[in-house]
Amino acid sequence: MRFSFTQDQRLLAEAVREVLEKTCPPEAVRSGPRPGPGWKALAEVGLLGAHVAEEHGGLGLTPLDTVLAFEETGRFAVPGPLAETVAVAPLVVPAGRHAEIAAGALTVTARSAGSPYLPDADLADLIAAGTLVAPHGEVALTRVRSVDATRPLFTDDLNADDSPAFDHAALATAAQLVGAGRRLLEEAVGYAQQRRQFGQVIGSFQAVKHKLADVAIALEFAAPLVYGAAYALAHDEPDASRDVSAAKLAANRAAHQAARAALQVHGAIGYTDELNLQIWLNRVWALRPAWGDDGVHRARLRAALLDEARPEGARR
Amino acid sequence: MDLTFSARQDAFRAEVRDWLAAHVPREPLPSMDTAEGFERHREWERRLADARLSAVSWPREYGGRGAGLLDWLVFEEEYWAAGAPGRVSQNGVFLLAPTLLAYGTDEQKRRHLPRMARADDVWAQAWSEPEAGSDLAALRATATPDGDGWRLNGQKTWSSRAVYAEWCFGLFRTDPESQRHRGLTYFMLPLDSEGVTVRPIAQLDGEHGFAEIFFDDVFVPADGVLGGVGQGWKVAMATTSSERGLTLRSPGRFMATADRLLELARASADQTLRDAAVRAWSDSRAYRLHTFRAAARLAEGVELGADSSLMKVFWSELDLRMHELALDLLGPAAPVAGRWLDGFLFALAGPIYAGTNEIQRNIIAERVLGLPR
Repeated sequence: MRFSFTQDQRLLAEAVREVLEKTCPPEAVRSGPRPGPGWKALAEVGLLGAHVAEEHGGLGLTPLDTVLAFEETGRFAVPGPLAETVAVAPLVVPAGRHAEIAAGALTVTARSAGSPYLPDADLADLIAAGTLVAPHGEVALTRVRSVDATRPLFTDDLNADDSPAFDHAALATAAQLVGAGRRLLEEAVGYAQQRRQFGQVIGSFQAVKHKLADVAIALEFAAPLVYGAAYALAHDEPDASRDVSAAKLAANRAAHQAARAALQVHGAIGYTDELNLQIWLNRVWALRPAWGDDGVHRARLRAALLDEARPEGARR
Repeated sequence: MDLTFSARQDAFRAEVRDWLAAHVPREPLPSMDTAEGFERHREWERRLADARLSAVSWPREYGGRGAGLLDWLVFEEEYWAAGAPGRVSQNGVFLLAPTLLAYGTDEQKRRHLPRMARADDVWAQAWSEPEAGSDLAALRATATPDGDGWRLNGQKTWSSRAVYAEWCFGLFRTDPESQRHRGLTYFMLPLDSEGVTVRPIAQLDGEHGFAEIFFDDVFVPADGVLGGVGQGWKVAMATTSSERGLTLRSPGRFMATADRLLELARASADQTLRDAAVRAWSDSRAYRLHTFRAAARLAEGVELGADSSLMKVFWSELDLRMHELALDLLGPAAPVAGRWLDGFLFALAGPIYAGTNEIQRNIIAERVLGLPR
């Protein structure tokens, strides 16, 4: 029993963090081109091909190896279909094209039968609807207005089935939510340390302290579920789907709590377009329903723990 | 990362499971807050001690097995899954003993630990005072030098089962000029010392689980001091950032409660309650994994620091939420006396004792997040 990450796993996450600090500042996410230089940087550190086999030029890594790195990408709200390209594509795209994924030359977006929405389809070379994979040019895409302008959503005309990569994508998304939640907490703490009212910084008020302490608790206890699910998925454990659902639910909840608290602590200025805070707020609200909303994952947990029939539209 | 146990740990688990299956009383014992229940729980502690299972993490010479933190977590999982009785000696075994092992003289350890392991001496804590609850450093009970020892005066309160216990431990002010955390000394003394009066306080459930302790010129010899004179605050707090942060409440207890809760939920058609039950199971799993993570960090030499505050808020609120949910699932049977009701009443105290959750949230905000005091 050793619940900790290896040096290599931590190093990958650190490398991702380092390159994103340089290439993916909030200003670039807000107003730069999508996916922007962060995407290219992630290809260079190997994350885009992390789940691609070494024989195809990838790193041949497992979800346990990349979960910390995904958390970092959430911290920076990197634009682009990252979970879809990294975690889904190697499981649904024919092996003949894996080398392109690893090289950062093939961007893939994906959905499962449970949701009609594709993220970032405008950037994708390939569209995966469950096991069905089609080139961008052969799919009728319609952009829908949605909460996160840096992660636009599209509908398609494909008849999707359940994605075999559903759990992998849900896990990567959960990790991103934890990262985004941590960033929101940092932003809120930073603001509470400098904003003064009644002659003192608002972070000295217990009402503010306790709200942020509760966010810290929620994130602190969501993360081990995410890491535990990564372990289960990497080891192909029979309970892996159950563990992924517990992780996604906890990450959804913690990230939303972080978003609400960060907005409240910032007050009216947080509700404006002037601050960068909106990047992570909107990303959290976009990722919560991605790869299984709360209802889907609760149903999977009930199926696993209370012997209910398994829900449709959510594989395994 | 490796989330499997070693063959040795699996063997230990099997031994504990078999022993408990053969020895756990079929009927729950009467409440340990009653005179009869207290003695029945003491007998149970002796049976555990005979099997060297009452304090597995202590060194062998004091009645333990020298078990590591992970072995202890294994023991706890089996213990609570088996529905074994609550630990009447917990204040001594889990709160005092780690401090005694760290700061006690060999003579103090030899004298107290083996008797504690067998519950020959059950220990009560003497921390809180009427004017020093969450603000523990405001305590006023004094100890003044007298010949070879000390004279204790003052009043302690909320002392669990002091009516039935043999010994107590707590902080007293040895420097009358001192303020707050300074000038305090950690004392251990028998509750039948001349000048000690223990007055029971009836709890919410009507039992005398609490007591006030009055000290009227009570003589304590010099070897009643644990750690140095004037070092009391440091001695009392030193082990909170190490294993004690983990050992206050093990995840095994909450996993066992969650499993029983799932059983209740399976029989319910109420979807809201069913969802709450799977959430409780998930939160218990989160606490378990978090504990393994903390154990790994300790093994890597990282101090836990204020992390124990995060854990305390989480488990105490989880425990209460699970018992509230159980009562909801029981419906009209909720007020009927039994395990869930007892558990609910006990869980209600969780957010209050061992540092209220309000104090813990302050600690998290100030020491983990870095917000100003």
